[in-house]
Amino acid sequence: MPEYLQTTIDKFTFKVATDRRYSGDGIWLQETADGRLRVGVTDFVQQHSGDVAFASVKATGTTLSAGDEFAELETVKVNLSLPLPVAGTIVEVNPALDTTPEVVNQAPYGDGWLAVVEVPAGAIDRVGLLDPPAYFAVMRSQVEQELNQQ
Amino acid sequence: MNSHEEPIIVVPCSGIGKTFGSVSREAAYEVCDELRPDTTRLLALSKLVLGEEEARERVRSGRTVTIDGCKLMCAAKLVAQSGGTVVREVAVLDVYRQHKDLKPDGIAELNDAGKQLARVIAGEIVKTIDGAGASSTLGEDNHA
Repeated sequence: MPEYLQTTIDKFTFKVATDRRYSGDGIWLQETADGRLRVGVTDFVQQHSGDVAFASVKATGTTLSAGDEFAELETVKVNLSLPLPVAGTIVEVNPALDTTPEVVNQAPYGDGWLAVVEVPAGAIDRVGLLDPPAYFAVMRSQVEQELNQQ
Repeated sequence: MNSHEEPIIVVPCSGIGKTFGSVSREAAYEVCDELRPDTTRLLALSKLVLGEEEARERVRSGRTVTIDGCKLMCAAKLVAQSGGTVVREVAVLDVYRQHKDLKPDGIAELNDAGKQLARVIAGEIVKTIDGAGASSTLGEDNHA
């Protein structure tokens, strides 16, 4: 079980897992034991986007450049295009997404992962990902900005 | 009239300003105004939120179908908290997952797909009301 940085703003509580790295737009990447990257969305992204109706991830074997869409979430509010922060090849897609896409809402850092990606050695260190405290600060800023707009 | 004599109470979620909430209300209107006006009665969730005793008594004394636009399942929870018996909970999102071509859009005025989704939900509810699926749940969630 990961530990979390956590903040409550207004009536919303947001968690950031401390055992992975992040892109500024709320994609997390966690190295697996075999050197690949498990990828998903943050708690903030899933709360902000709403209940997931459908989740589709590019097929295994798909090779993507950094910034390419690797998955799309259709929620009750939006269609969310998710960019892969680092170039790589999708080697596994979470099979639970077909039958229970709500798992993304229920466990964004756990069973709600989206894909496993194979990347060149050292690639993750070259793309400027955020550590948990840095993403936590970005997320807080995004939440406050959102609330100020309301 | 069904075997319980009393009309079945249909409670859609409030969901004001939300597309899926609008689908829930549209489905409730379809059931209560068009498909089964003689055996159903519509109840505004806001009356249960406000604790109106007459509304609470209606759900306590009869059988209820709830229709919720999101996973908070406010209608189902409030009926249960009011002491009512939910014979069928509908989660609009779960039905939509079974009908991906019926993507609802709009709030004040639903698009055609949203209206069609509401009709699908209404049709399923009618099956329950007619006794074909009492005590069942449309979709996966059951908070009763």
